[in-house]
Amino acid sequence: MTIKVLGISGSPHRYGNTETLLDKFLEGAKVAGSSVEKIVLKDLDYSPCRGCNACHKTGECIVQDDAIDLFDKILKSDCIAIASPIYSMGITAELKGFIDREQYLWARKFIVKTLYFKNDHIKKHKGIFISTAGLGWNNVFNGAFPIITALFNTLGFEFYDNIVANDMDRYGGIQQHPTALKEAFEKGQNVVRVLEKLNKT
Amino acid sequence: MVIKVLAFAGSPRRYGNSETLLDWVLASMSGESDVNIEKIALIEANIHMCNGCNACEKLNKCIQRDGMDTVHDKIIEADCIVLSSPIFCMGLAAQVKALVDRAQVFRSRKYVLKLPIVPPERKGKRLGIFLATAGQKWDYVFDGAIPSVKCFYHVIDIRDEDIHYLMVNGVDEKGAINNHLTARTDAEKLGREVIMELKKRLSF
Repeated sequence: MTIKVLGISGSPHRYGNTETLLDKFLEGAKVAGSSVEKIVLKDLDYSPCRGCNACHKTGECIVQDDAIDLFDKILKSDCIAIASPIYSMGITAELKGFIDREQYLWARKFIVKTLYFKNDHIKKHKGIFISTAGLGWNNVFNGAFPIITALFNTLGFEFYDNIVANDMDRYGGIQQHPTALKEAFEKGQNVVRVLEKLNKT
Repeated sequence: MVIKVLAFAGSPRRYGNSETLLDWVLASMSGESDVNIEKIALIEANIHMCNGCNACEKLNKCIQRDGMDTVHDKIIEADCIVLSSPIFCMGLAAQVKALVDRAQVFRSRKYVLKLPIVPPERKGKRLGIFLATAGQKWDYVFDGAIPSVKCFYHVIDIRDEDIHYLMVNGVDEKGAINNHLTARTDAEKLGREVIMELKKRLSF
Protein backbone atom coordinates (compact mmCIF):
# COMPACT_ATOMS: atom_id res chain seq x y z
CA MET A 1 0.00 0.00 0.00
CA THR A 2 1.05 3.58 -0.56
CA ILE A 3 1.41 5.58 2.63
CA LYS A 4 -0.58 8.80 2.57
CA VAL A 5 1.12 11.81 4.12
CA LEU A 6 -0.78 15.04 4.67
CA GLY A 7 0.96 18.29 5.56
CA ILE A 8 -1.02 21.18 6.97
CA SER A 9 0.51 24.62 6.99
CA GLY A 10 -0.93 26.93 9.65
CA SER A 11 1.05 30.03 8.81
CA PRO A 12 -0.67 33.11 7.40
CA HIS A 13 2.64 33.91 5.76
CA ARG A 14 3.25 31.91 2.53
CA TYR A 15 6.62 30.24 1.83
CA GLY A 16 8.15 31.33 5.15
CA ASN A 17 10.38 29.37 7.50
CA THR A 18 7.73 26.97 8.77
CA GLU A 19 6.25 26.14 5.38
CA THR A 20 9.75 25.59 3.98
CA LEU A 21 10.46 23.14 6.79
CA LEU A 22 7.15 21.38 6.08
CA ASP A 23 8.03 21.22 2.37
CA LYS A 24 11.34 19.53 3.18
CA PHE A 25 9.57 16.99 5.35
CA LEU A 26 7.07 16.25 2.56
CA GLU A 27 9.92 16.00 0.05
CA GLY A 28 11.58 13.35 2.19
CA ALA A 29 8.29 11.49 2.55
CA LYS A 30 7.76 11.57 -1.22
CA VAL A 31 11.26 10.30 -1.97
CA ALA A 32 10.53 7.40 0.37
CA GLY A 33 7.58 6.45 -1.82
CA SER A 34 4.53 7.93 -0.12
CA SER A 35 1.85 10.06 -1.71
CA VAL A 36 1.98 13.53 -0.24
CA GLU A 37 -0.42 16.44 -0.17
CA LYS A 38 -0.09 19.88 1.37
CA ILE A 39 -2.99 21.99 2.57
CA VAL A 40 -2.51 25.66 3.39
CA LEU A 41 -5.06 26.74 6.00
CA LYS A 42 -4.95 30.33 4.78
CA ASP A 43 -6.47 29.19 1.46
CA LEU A 44 -9.41 27.45 3.12
CA ASP A 45 -12.71 28.92 4.16
CA TYR A 46 -13.59 28.00 7.73
CA SER A 47 -14.65 29.78 10.88
CA PRO A 48 -13.49 29.07 14.43
CA CYS A 49 -15.56 26.92 16.82
CA ARG A 50 -18.61 28.73 18.24
CA GLY A 51 -18.63 26.66 21.42
CA CYS A 52 -22.33 25.90 20.88
CA ASN A 53 -21.90 22.26 21.96
CA ALA A 54 -24.52 21.10 19.44
CA CYS A 55 -22.05 18.34 18.53
CA HIS A 56 -22.28 16.99 22.06
CA LYS A 57 -25.79 15.80 21.17
CA THR A 58 -25.34 14.73 17.56
CA GLY A 59 -21.64 14.22 16.93
CA GLU A 60 -22.01 16.58 13.96
CA CYS A 61 -20.83 20.16 13.60
CA ILE A 62 -23.55 22.59 12.61
CA VAL A 63 -21.01 24.62 10.66
CA GLN A 64 -20.34 22.83 7.38
CA ASP A 65 -17.29 24.39 5.78
CA ASP A 66 -13.79 23.49 4.63
CA ALA A 67 -12.75 22.47 8.16
CA ILE A 68 -15.00 19.40 7.98
CA ASP A 69 -13.55 18.33 4.61
CA LEU A 70 -10.06 18.70 6.01
CA PHE A 71 -10.86 16.56 9.07
CA ASP A 72 -12.22 13.90 6.64
CA LYS A 73 -8.96 14.07 4.74
CA ILE A 74 -6.91 13.79 7.94
CA LEU A 75 -8.82 10.69 9.01
CA LYS A 76 -7.95 9.06 5.67
CA SER A 77 -4.23 9.82 6.04
CA ASP A 78 -1.56 7.60 7.56
CA CYS A 79 0.65 10.47 8.63
CA ILE A 80 -0.10 14.11 9.34
CA ALA A 81 2.42 16.89 9.73
CA ILE A 82 0.96 19.94 11.46
CA ALA A 83 3.02 23.05 10.88
CA SER A 84 2.76 26.42 12.59
CA PRO A 85 5.17 29.20 13.40
CA ILE A 86 5.18 30.35 17.01
CA TYR A 87 3.21 33.56 17.44
CA SER A 88 3.09 35.02 20.95
CA MET A 89 4.40 31.79 22.50
CA GLY A 90 1.75 29.60 20.87
CA ILE A 91 0.48 28.26 17.56
CA THR A 92 -1.14 30.75 15.18
CA ALA A 93 -4.77 31.78 15.61
CA GLU A 94 -5.31 30.29 12.15
CA LEU A 95 -4.27 26.83 13.27
CA LYS A 96 -5.98 27.17 16.64
CA GLY A 97 -9.16 28.14 14.79
CA PHE A 98 -8.98 24.89 12.84
CA ILE A 99 -8.01 22.70 15.82
CA ASP A 100 -10.88 23.99 17.96
CA ARG A 101 -13.26 22.70 15.29
CA GLU A 102 -12.24 19.10 16.17
CA GLN A 103 -14.76 19.25 19.01
CA TYR A 104 -17.35 17.20 17.05
CA LEU A 105 -14.85 14.36 16.75
CA TRP A 106 -14.07 14.59 20.45
CA ALA A 107 -17.83 14.44 21.09
CA ARG A 108 -18.14 11.36 18.85
CA LYS A 109 -15.44 9.64 20.93
CA PHE A 110 -16.43 10.61 24.44
CA ILE A 111 -20.09 11.64 24.46
CA VAL A 112 -21.97 10.16 21.49
CA LYS A 113 -19.56 7.19 21.39
CA THR A 114 -19.70 6.55 17.67
CA LEU A 115 -15.95 6.90 17.11
CA TYR A 116 -13.30 4.65 18.55
CA PHE A 117 -9.71 4.06 17.51
CA LYS A 118 -8.15 0.70 18.34
CA ASN A 119 -4.57 0.69 19.62
CA ASP A 120 -3.44 -0.98 16.41
CA HIS A 121 -4.96 1.88 14.37
CA ILE A 122 -3.29 4.51 16.55
CA LYS A 123 0.09 2.81 16.19
CA LYS A 124 -0.22 2.91 12.39
CA HIS A 125 -1.09 6.60 12.28
CA LYS A 126 1.67 9.05 13.04
CA GLY A 127 1.54 12.74 13.84
CA ILE A 128 4.41 15.17 13.51
CA PHE A 129 4.61 18.76 14.72
CA ILE A 130 6.67 21.21 12.67
CA SER A 131 7.44 24.66 13.97
CA THR A 132 9.81 27.57 13.91
CA ALA A 133 10.19 30.46 16.33
CA GLY A 134 12.04 33.74 16.18
CA LEU A 135 13.09 33.61 19.81
CA GLY A 136 15.93 31.42 20.95
CA TRP A 137 14.38 30.37 24.27
CA ASN A 138 14.28 26.65 25.01
CA ASN A 139 10.68 26.89 26.24
CA VAL A 140 9.31 28.70 23.19
CA PHE A 141 7.40 25.65 21.92
CA ASN A 142 5.95 24.65 25.31
CA GLY A 143 2.64 26.43 24.77
CA ALA A 144 2.11 24.62 21.48
CA PHE A 145 2.84 21.04 22.58
CA PRO A 146 -0.27 20.42 24.74
CA ILE A 147 -2.56 21.61 21.93
CA ILE A 148 -0.90 19.49 19.27
CA THR A 149 -0.90 16.45 21.56
CA ALA A 150 -4.62 16.96 22.20
CA LEU A 151 -5.25 17.16 18.44
CA PHE A 152 -3.36 13.94 17.72
CA ASN A 153 -5.13 12.14 20.57
CA THR A 154 -8.57 13.14 19.33
CA LEU A 155 -7.81 12.14 15.75
CA GLY A 156 -6.34 8.72 16.59
CA PHE A 157 -2.76 9.57 15.63
CA GLU A 158 0.26 8.59 17.68
CA PHE A 159 2.73 11.39 18.29
CA TYR A 160 5.82 10.50 16.24
CA ASP A 161 8.21 13.43 16.49
CA ASN A 162 8.74 17.18 16.50
CA ILE A 163 10.70 19.07 13.89
CA VAL A 164 11.26 22.40 15.57
CA ALA A 165 13.79 25.16 15.07
CA ASN A 166 14.02 28.21 17.31
CA ASP A 167 16.23 31.29 17.16
CA MET A 168 15.17 32.12 13.57
CA ASP A 169 15.70 35.85 14.21
CA ARG A 170 19.37 35.19 14.92
CA TYR A 171 19.87 32.73 12.05
CA GLY A 172 18.10 35.06 9.64
CA GLY A 173 15.81 32.34 8.33
CA ILE A 174 15.55 28.58 8.01
CA GLN A 175 18.02 28.32 5.13
CA GLN A 176 20.78 29.46 7.49
CA HIS A 177 19.86 26.92 10.17
CA PRO A 178 22.62 24.29 10.40
CA THR A 179 20.46 21.16 10.75
CA ALA A 180 16.70 21.78 10.53
CA LEU A 181 16.08 21.23 6.80
CA LYS A 182 18.17 18.07 6.70
CA GLU A 183 16.41 16.81 9.81
CA ALA A 184 13.00 17.49 8.23
CA PHE A 185 13.91 15.62 5.04
CA GLU A 186 15.25 12.62 6.96
CA LYS A 187 12.28 12.46 9.30
CA GLY A 188 9.99 12.54 6.28
CA GLN A 189 11.78 9.53 4.83
CA ASN A 190 11.94 7.70 8.12
CA VAL A 191 8.31 8.01 9.11
CA VAL A 192 7.23 6.53 5.78
CA ARG A 193 9.61 3.60 6.23
CA VAL A 194 8.31 3.05 9.76
CA LEU A 195 4.70 3.14 8.57
CA GLU A 196 5.41 0.76 5.68
CA LYS A 197 6.94 -1.73 8.09
CA LEU A 198 4.01 -1.41 10.50
CA ASN A 199 1.50 -1.97 7.72
CA LYS A 200 3.27 -5.16 6.60
CA THR A 201 2.90 -6.79 9.99
CA MET B 1 -9.60 60.55 38.29
CA VAL B 2 -11.00 57.12 37.64
CA ILE B 3 -9.49 53.67 37.35
CA LYS B 4 -10.07 52.28 33.87
CA VAL B 5 -10.75 48.58 33.57
CA LEU B 6 -10.83 46.98 30.15
CA ALA B 7 -12.23 43.46 30.06
CA PHE B 8 -12.31 40.93 27.23
CA ALA B 9 -14.90 38.18 27.24
CA GLY B 10 -13.06 35.76 24.99
CA SER B 11 -15.49 32.90 24.60
CA PRO B 12 -17.47 32.47 21.38
CA ARG B 13 -20.32 31.33 23.65
CA ARG B 14 -21.89 34.36 25.31
CA TYR B 15 -22.78 34.24 29.03
CA GLY B 16 -21.08 30.87 29.58
CA ASN B 17 -18.70 29.87 32.35
CA SER B 18 -15.69 32.03 31.51
CA GLU B 19 -17.87 35.11 30.98
CA THR B 20 -19.75 34.47 34.22
CA LEU B 21 -16.42 34.32 36.04
CA LEU B 22 -15.49 37.60 34.37
CA ASP B 23 -18.82 39.20 35.33
CA TRP B 24 -18.27 38.27 38.98
CA VAL B 25 -14.87 39.97 38.96
CA LEU B 26 -16.28 43.07 37.22
CA ALA B 27 -19.32 43.27 39.52
CA SER B 28 -17.09 43.37 42.59
CA MET B 29 -14.93 46.04 40.95
CA SER B 30 -17.94 48.19 40.09
CA GLY B 31 -18.88 48.15 43.78
CA GLU B 32 -15.77 50.26 44.45
CA SER B 33 -15.71 54.03 43.91
CA ASP B 34 -14.04 55.73 40.92
CA VAL B 35 -13.97 52.68 38.69
CA ASN B 36 -14.88 52.76 35.03
CA ILE B 37 -15.40 49.36 33.40
CA GLU B 38 -15.68 48.47 29.77
CA LYS B 39 -16.38 44.89 28.68
CA ILE B 40 -15.77 43.76 25.11
CA ALA B 41 -17.04 40.41 23.82
CA LEU B 42 -14.39 39.27 21.34
CA ILE B 43 -16.93 37.39 19.23
CA GLU B 44 -18.50 40.76 18.42
CA ALA B 45 -15.29 42.81 18.26
CA ASN B 46 -14.35 42.14 14.61
CA ILE B 47 -10.68 41.42 15.33
CA HIS B 48 -9.07 39.59 12.43
CA MET B 49 -6.07 37.30 12.69
CA CYS B 50 -2.50 38.56 12.34
CA ASN B 51 -1.22 38.20 8.75
CA GLY B 52 2.36 37.72 9.90
CA CYS B 53 3.43 40.42 7.42
CA ASN B 54 5.71 42.20 9.93
CA ALA B 55 4.71 45.58 8.49
CA CYS B 56 4.20 46.81 12.08
CA GLU B 57 7.96 46.54 12.56
CA LYS B 58 8.30 49.48 10.18
CA LEU B 59 4.96 51.30 10.39
CA ASN B 60 4.43 51.11 14.17
CA LYS B 61 0.83 50.18 13.35
CA CYS B 62 -1.07 47.31 11.83
CA ILE B 63 -2.02 47.48 8.17
CA GLN B 64 -5.40 45.86 8.93
CA ARG B 65 -8.30 48.25 9.63
CA ASP B 66 -10.79 46.51 11.91
CA GLY B 67 -12.00 46.38 15.50
CA MET B 68 -8.40 46.30 16.71
CA ASP B 69 -8.07 50.01 15.83
CA THR B 70 -10.12 51.06 18.86
CA VAL B 71 -9.10 48.10 21.02
CA HIS B 72 -5.45 49.07 20.51
CA ASP B 73 -6.08 52.54 22.00
CA LYS B 74 -8.18 51.15 24.84
CA ILE B 75 -5.40 48.72 25.78
CA ILE B 76 -3.00 51.64 26.17
CA GLU B 77 -5.47 53.73 28.20
CA ALA B 78 -6.55 51.01 30.65
CA ASP B 79 -5.13 50.63 34.15
CA CYS B 80 -6.29 47.05 34.37
CA ILE B 81 -6.78 44.59 31.54
CA VAL B 82 -8.84 41.51 32.21
CA LEU B 83 -8.70 38.65 29.73
CA SER B 84 -11.07 35.70 30.00
CA SER B 85 -11.00 32.56 27.90
CA PRO B 86 -12.41 29.09 27.98
CA ILE B 87 -9.87 26.34 27.36
CA PHE B 88 -10.50 24.70 23.99
CA CYS B 89 -8.28 21.77 23.02
CA MET B 90 -5.77 22.55 25.77
CA GLY B 91 -5.28 26.17 24.73
CA LEU B 92 -6.85 29.59 24.48
CA ALA B 93 -9.99 29.82 22.34
CA ALA B 94 -9.00 30.78 18.78
CA GLN B 95 -10.80 34.12 19.17
CA VAL B 96 -8.57 34.98 22.14
CA LYS B 97 -5.45 33.79 20.32
CA ALA B 98 -6.38 36.15 17.48
CA LEU B 99 -6.35 39.11 19.90
CA VAL B 100 -3.07 37.95 21.45
CA ASP B 101 -1.44 37.57 18.01
CA ARG B 102 -2.59 41.06 17.00
CA ALA B 103 -0.70 42.43 20.01
CA GLN B 104 2.32 41.93 17.74
CA VAL B 105 2.12 45.66 17.00
CA PHE B 106 3.04 46.33 20.67
CA ARG B 107 5.91 43.86 20.47
CA SER B 108 7.25 45.64 17.37
CA ARG B 109 6.88 49.01 19.07
CA LYS B 110 8.68 47.80 22.20
CA TYR B 111 11.47 45.66 20.77
CA VAL B 112 12.04 46.72 17.18
CA LEU B 113 11.21 50.44 17.21
CA LYS B 114 12.16 50.77 20.90
CA LEU B 115 9.28 53.10 21.69
CA PRO B 116 7.27 53.22 24.92
CA ILE B 117 3.89 51.45 25.21
CA VAL B 118 2.51 53.63 28.01
CA PRO B 119 3.66 57.07 29.18
CA PRO B 120 6.50 56.89 31.76
CA GLU B 121 4.27 57.98 34.67
CA ARG B 122 2.03 54.91 34.13
CA LYS B 123 4.77 52.38 33.54
CA GLY B 124 4.81 49.54 36.06
CA LYS B 125 1.46 50.60 37.52
CA ARG B 126 -0.88 48.55 35.34
CA LEU B 127 -2.33 45.24 36.40
CA GLY B 128 -3.56 42.22 34.45
CA ILE B 129 -6.06 39.54 35.30
CA PHE B 130 -6.35 36.26 33.42
CA LEU B 131 -9.51 34.27 33.94
CA ALA B 132 -10.08 30.84 32.46
CA THR B 133 -12.45 27.94 32.73
CA ALA B 134 -11.89 24.40 31.49
CA GLY B 135 -14.14 21.39 31.18
CA GLN B 136 -11.41 18.91 32.03
CA LYS B 137 -10.35 18.42 35.64
CA TRP B 138 -6.63 17.96 34.91
CA ASP B 139 -4.49 20.41 36.84
CA TYR B 140 -2.26 20.89 33.76
CA VAL B 141 -5.20 21.90 31.54
CA PHE B 142 -4.13 25.59 31.57
CA ASP B 143 -0.46 24.93 30.69
CA GLY B 144 -0.91 25.49 26.94
CA ALA B 145 -2.67 28.83 27.46
CA ILE B 146 -0.40 30.50 30.02
CA PRO B 147 2.70 31.15 27.84
CA SER B 148 0.61 33.14 25.33
CA VAL B 149 -1.17 35.01 28.14
CA LYS B 150 2.17 36.02 29.66
CA CYS B 151 3.37 37.09 26.22
CA PHE B 152 0.26 39.25 25.69
CA TYR B 153 0.69 41.07 29.00
CA HIS B 154 4.42 41.39 28.52
CA VAL B 155 4.16 43.21 25.20
CA ILE B 156 1.49 45.59 26.51
CA ASP B 157 3.77 46.50 29.43
CA ILE B 158 2.14 44.61 32.26
CA ARG B 159 4.83 42.88 34.25
CA ASP B 160 4.77 39.14 34.92
CA GLU B 161 4.41 39.73 38.67
CA ASP B 162 1.47 42.06 38.01
CA ILE B 163 -0.68 39.37 36.37
CA HIS B 164 -3.32 37.82 38.62
CA TYR B 165 -4.77 34.46 37.68
CA LEU B 166 -8.06 32.77 38.46
CA MET B 167 -8.42 29.53 36.54
CA VAL B 168 -11.23 27.11 37.28
CA ASN B 169 -11.18 23.56 35.94
CA GLY B 170 -13.90 20.91 35.89
CA VAL B 171 -16.66 23.24 34.65
CA ASP B 172 -18.00 22.12 31.28
CA GLU B 173 -21.67 22.67 30.50
CA LYS B 174 -23.11 26.16 30.44
CA GLY B 175 -23.81 27.35 33.98
CA ALA B 176 -21.62 24.69 35.64
CA ILE B 177 -19.56 27.41 37.30
CA ASN B 178 -22.56 28.45 39.39
CA ASN B 179 -22.22 25.17 41.27
CA HIS B 180 -18.50 25.57 41.87
CA LEU B 181 -17.74 25.87 45.57
CA THR B 182 -15.25 28.74 45.55
CA ALA B 183 -15.18 30.36 42.08
CA ARG B 184 -17.61 33.19 42.84
CA THR B 185 -16.03 34.13 46.18
CA ASP B 186 -12.55 33.97 44.67
CA ALA B 187 -13.60 36.13 41.73
CA GLU B 188 -15.20 38.78 43.93
CA LYS B 189 -12.22 38.85 46.25
CA LEU B 190 -9.85 39.19 43.30
CA GLY B 191 -11.81 42.09 41.82
CA ARG B 192 -11.74 44.02 45.10
CA GLU B 193 -8.05 43.32 45.73
CA VAL B 194 -6.99 44.44 42.29
CA ILE B 195 -8.89 47.73 42.60
CA MET B 196 -7.36 48.32 46.05
CA GLU B 197 -3.89 47.69 44.67
CA LEU B 198 -4.50 50.03 41.73
CA LYS B 199 -5.71 52.80 44.03
CA LYS B 200 -2.53 52.42 46.03
CA ARG B 201 -0.35 52.52 42.90
CA LEU B 202 -2.17 55.45 41.37
CA SER B 203 -2.22 57.17 44.83
CA PHE B 204 -5.95 57.82 45.11
